[in-house]
Order: sequence, then structure tokens, then C-alpha cells
Amino acid sequence: MAVELLERVGELLGDAVIDSHARLGDATVLVDAGRIQEVLGALRDSDLRFNVLMDLTAVDYLGRNPRFEVVYHLASVDTEPHGTDPARLPHRLRVKAGVLEDPCEIGSATSLYVSADWMEREVWDLYGIVFKGHPDLKRILLYEQFEGHPLRKDYPKERRQPLIGPLN
Amino acid sequence: MPGKVVRVRRRERLGWAERLYLPMIFVGLGVTARVFFRNLWGYIIGKKKTFVVQYPEERLDYADAFRGHPVLVALEDGKPKCVACGLCEFACPTDCITIIPGETHDPIERIPEVFDIDMSRCMFCGLCEEACPEEAIVMSRDVELATYERGPMLFHMKDLLRDEDTLGRRIGFIRQDYDR
Amino acid sequence: MVTAKKLEPGGKSDLHTDHQILNMGPSHPATHGTVKIVLEIDGEQIVDMEVMVGYLHRGFEKECESGTWYQAIPYTDRLNYNSAILANLSFCMAVEKLLEIELPHRCLWVRTLAGELSRMGDHLTRLGAACLELGAMTPFLYGIEARELVWDLQEMLCGARVTANYIRIGGLQRQVPEGFEDRMAQSLMRIEQLLVDFDKLVTANRIFVDRFRRTGMIPAQRLIEYGVTGPLLRAAGIPLDLRKAEPYLVYDQLDFDVPVGTIGDNYDRFLVCQEELAQSIRIIRQCLPVLRKTRGEPVDVDDPKIRWPAKDRVFGRMEELIQQFKGVTEGVKVPAGEAYSAIESANGELGFYIVSDGTGKPYKVRCRAPSFMNVAPLREMMLGGMLADIVPTFDMINMIGGECDR
Repeated sequence: MAVELLERVGELLGDAVIDSHARLGDATVLVDAGRIQEVLGALRDSDLRFNVLMDLTAVDYLGRNPRFEVVYHLASVDTEPHGTDPARLPHRLRVKAGVLEDPCEIGSATSLYVSADWMEREVWDLYGIVFKGHPDLKRILLYEQFEGHPLRKDYPKERRQPLIGPLN
Repeated sequence: MPGKVVRVRRRERLGWAERLYLPMIFVGLGVTARVFFRNLWGYIIGKKKTFVVQYPEERLDYADAFRGHPVLVALEDGKPKCVACGLCEFACPTDCITIIPGETHDPIERIPEVFDIDMSRCMFCGLCEEACPEEAIVMSRDVELATYERGPMLFHMKDLLRDEDTLGRRIGFIRQDYDR
Repeated sequence: MVTAKKLEPGGKSDLHTDHQILNMGPSHPATHGTVKIVLEIDGEQIVDMEVMVGYLHRGFEKECESGTWYQAIPYTDRLNYNSAILANLSFCMAVEKLLEIELPHRCLWVRTLAGELSRMGDHLTRLGAACLELGAMTPFLYGIEARELVWDLQEMLCGARVTANYIRIGGLQRQVPEGFEDRMAQSLMRIEQLLVDFDKLVTANRIFVDRFRRTGMIPAQRLIEYGVTGPLLRAAGIPLDLRKAEPYLVYDQLDFDVPVGTIGDNYDRFLVCQEELAQSIRIIRQCLPVLRKTRGEPVDVDDPKIRWPAKDRVFGRMEELIQQFKGVTEGVKVPAGEAYSAIESANGELGFYIVSDGTGKPYKVRCRAPSFMNVAPLREMMLGGMLADIVPTFDMINMIGGECDR
């Protein structure tokens, strides 16, 4: 099923797709980061109807180029009523886009999915990836005075923040 | 198995009794009064019916599986059963166990010289007990650890050692699962 | 943010009609968890608001990366303290997906039962706390008594009432104790009685109905755009339930219904949760005979590379002792790759996206927390509403700080 979905996605997105696989039944496409808004828009508005952005996160592959990978988990929820049958969730798709260390930025999906708002703020907060076009990109889980982005692999777990002060 | 979708029944229009408010108050009072008299009757005949327990005077018996803070099993001579292999130290997610091994006169056995558990970090997950290959660290049934300072939360070996008999219930329980 | 209203000439100039800024939280009795809501109010009407989360951020994802896969399981307990087993389950299912292992038949049934038990605990807390925060102490106590019974069962099953640490990669912490099924059947009967009493006290009470009905409404389409799942979405009339849409464990063999609401106000949410409780009881009743029948069957996969070997073999045999040492010190070797696995938790889709680099430690653990997604539309639900409506709406969203902020 995931393979068929990938074929349809490949047709739809054309040369924006760099790589794709369907390992473990999770359909995954790696796309061109510069065209992420176009890709997500096409996926949302096509007949595949990926209407929910379930999850948005990033992974730091330190030492690899591009260093970061922003991961979108899209789902297509069938909102039409089917009598007394529960709603279906016909397919899910994972979209990945590589982000360089410098410039560490990617287009924002907030104009397409409202749910991207908070999740992009979270990724900015924890990874320091800038989402261009986000209306209010500020820290969400941490506080404004926090230095650095803690989920980056080069951020040591034991590092103490200036507001916390030294170990007593 | 195909399940169906059921629509929950909303009270879009309340009945007259509900709109008047007072009758439904009496229905509610009926429920609470029934419970009150049941509890009162239990009190009179001396068979407790209330659900509430007057802790700490009254205590409930915890289940057999209950995990309190980890303790060390002592042998009959008061020495720990532990051989300082350090598996619990590895298994502990919060790194709250510190072991410094020492030699004994016996050429093959080792013994922990220092065995500290920082109870302020321990989260009672029980992974140390699961990892232990010697049945030397088990979860006790004690949970009351509150102190005014952090210092006493660092438990040393002498605070942790317990006789095997006092831990009998727990050891008996975990042995049930040994042949899983 | 404050904009004073221009007074019309000749108007009642002594009336003070400025918008007022009000901080609700971070520590407020009605926001169980720490969340700050900055409100701009005009009298009692909400003009604008901002929800600030993050006060409970503990670095769950960073912490997971520093330990082995096993060591992450106790941390998942602390995500949603009302339904710890569901978080355990979701995490372990994601790892098992990467490992590509088949679980024993009995394990699946016990997991289903434990998960539903956990879901009941969550819903009972939500319903009880909602009443408490509206000022109704009595129904809260009925709900909490039922929850205590659920938690007693959980304690019997896994040794802790809240932080269960029950599900393991490739199995369970331990076998189901003797007499659990009978105790469970008894407790379910008592819980059903309590739910009837709870219903009598609350659902027809006019104050309650007036405060819940037509408050916190938001169209179903907006909820979809916000990525909201779970009872909130079902109350708005979209019957999405992952247990039906993508059946995992043994949910395809169980007979249960999906309750939906009509317009998606707080009243619908309350009723949907109440009905889901009844459905959970129904599911557990179907699990119990299977548990009785399969008693004695294994619950763990028989692979010492994944699940630590049983103790009697560790004590007696050299090979298993070595496997135990390797299993604890190096952890489960999860093949390199990535996986996303989601379950229907009490708040909605609880998913884990994990990346492994082939070593014993997780490279990346991402929790798709339903609370985080469900709180985002709170602003839109409340705009134009009354100040007092925040409390029931917030209760029905059931934001759990630990899960939202991770």
C-alpha cells in the first residue's frame, strides 16, 4: 500500500522528490527543502488530500551534510460521514527535507496547516531552525533567556544556563 | 470487527424538572444521602463502609507487586548479597546508584565497599531489580522518605541493608516470575 | 496589546471601559499543570488571549538520547501521569516496529486490557476534575473513587499506581498476578455503579449543563486544520478513532463503538468521554475471558537480545548470565532506521517517531503529544467567549503539562 502511495506521490511531485522509500510500511519521501511549501501545498490540495499535519520535528545528523532534517508527518483523514462507520485514515506520508547548518532555514508551513504554528516554534526552540514566513517565531517550551538549542547533538546535556547559575 | 458510530444523547432542551433546578438538587441529594446513610450504618454496626482511609493512622495493604524504594538484601552475617557487578548502576535511568567495589578474602567474591542510592533522584522504576543477576537489590515496601533537607536522601549501604526475612514477600513475589 | 476604547463625546465618560490584561496561571487551581494564559478582557468577555506552555519542560527527548532504549520507558510514564501505560505502549510499539518482531498472543491481550484500564483512569480524572473546577466537589469524589479502583488494579498489575513502567520492548514487565481477573470483574461492577451515581449528580444539573452547553465551540474543519485528535475531534462529529482506523494490538477482534458528538461544545465532549468510559469497560470485559484462557502462556518474546532473559536461567546458566550483562549494559540493538507508530491515547493520537543509528541508544525520540496539539486551538475556542468559560473548556481539553511540555 505504501509503495502505491509513493508512486502517486512521485507522479504528483515530479522532480521535487530526491529520494523515497517505504521501509516498515511508512511511506517516506525526501524532498528539496527549497520547494517545501510547494510540495506540502500540492499534497494538501491534490486528490490524496493530506489534510492533517500530524507531526513536525527535526533530526540533527551531526557530521552529515545537510546537517538537519525536518520531518513532516502528514495524514489524510476522511472527514466525510459514512453512515455508522468510523472515519477512515487512508494514508500517512512522511516528508523529509534536509536543512543546512548555515543558512539554517526552511520555508514555513503555517500558511498551509495551522497546526504547524506551534510545532515550528518548538523546532526553532529546540533545534534553532528558522522557519521563513512564520508569523511569530519565538521560543515555546523554553524561556527567552535560554542560550543555545538543546536538542542539537553538540549541546551537552549537563550544560548549565546562566539563569540557573553554577552548581552549589 | 466493524464497530459502529454512536451519537451521544444531548439534552438540548431540559425537562421542566431540570429547568426548575430544585427537583434535580433533590435527586442529587438522594444519591449523597443514600451513601451517607450507608456509611453511617456501617459505622453503627462496626463494619466500615467508607472508601476513605484515615492515613496515617489507618493504612491499606499495598498489592504484592508494589514497588517501594530499592533496598539491598543482607545475608545472615549482615554482609550484602551484592557482588558489586554494577549492572543496576548501568540499568538505572537516572544514575542514582553509585557502587565502589572492594575485594574480600574470598578469591572469587567481590563486595561493594560503597553502595549509595540517591533517593531524591530514584524514580522507583524497578529496572535495577530486573537487571540484578544475584537477587541482591529488590524493591521494598517503604515509600515514606520525606525529609527537610537533601542530605538524608542519600542512602548509604547501612541504610539500605535489610534482612532477607523482612523482604520475604517481595522476594517471593518476584520469584513467581522467574520462569516467565 | 492594551487598546483603550475611544470614548464618544457626550458619552458616559465616567465609565471605565479599558481592556484589562489578566494573567491566568502559571499556577492556577483550574489549570492542572502549569500553563499561563494571558487574557485581554473587556469586562468578562475575552478579546484576545495567548496560551503559554512550557513551564513543565523537562527535556524528555534529550534525556532519552542519553540512555538505552530500556531506560527511556520509565520516562514515558511521566508524560501523561493519568495514563502512563498508554505512553509506555506507544513507545514500545514504535521500537518493536523497527525491530520487526511478532509478539506472543497473550501479550497483545494483556496490553489491550492495560491500555484500556489506563484510558479509564484518564477519563475519570478528566470528568471528575471538570466538576471540581466548576465548584461541584461531590461528583469529583465519586469520579475519584472510581479512579482509585482503577489505580488499585493498576498497582496489582505493575506495582505502581501512577508511574506504571509496565510495557517492555518485546513484552511486559511481568505476568498478570493470580486473582487479577476476579478482582477486575468486581471493580468494574463497582465502577459502573459509581458512574451511574456520577451521571445522576451531574448530567441533568442545570448549572452544570448551562456552563457546558455551547461553550468552547469550534468547527470540526478547524480542528482538523489544528491537527486535533481524540475525544475533542469526536465530539465535533468526526468519528476518527485510531483503534478503528488503523487497528493495532487486538482491537480488530473487539466489539466496541465510537461515540461522537453533534456540535463539538464542552457538553458534547463531556458526554463523549462518559460514553468512552462505558466502551472501555466493554472492551475490558471482552479481554478478561481471553486472559483467563491463556493463563500460563508467555508474555515476552523469546529472544534474549530483545527482552532480558528470565531470572531462573540467569541464575543458573552461564550463557544467559552473559546475555543479561550484555542486554543491560549495551541495551537492545535496534536496527538503524526510522519509524513512526501511533496509538489512540485518552487525549488523541499519541505517536512516537524514533530514529536509531544501530547502537543500543536512541538517536532521536520524538513524542507527538496530543495535549500539545489540543491546546493550540484554545485561543480560537475562547475568543468572544466569557472568562468563566475558560475553566470548563480547559478541563475538557484535558491538557496534561507533562505531556504537552515534555
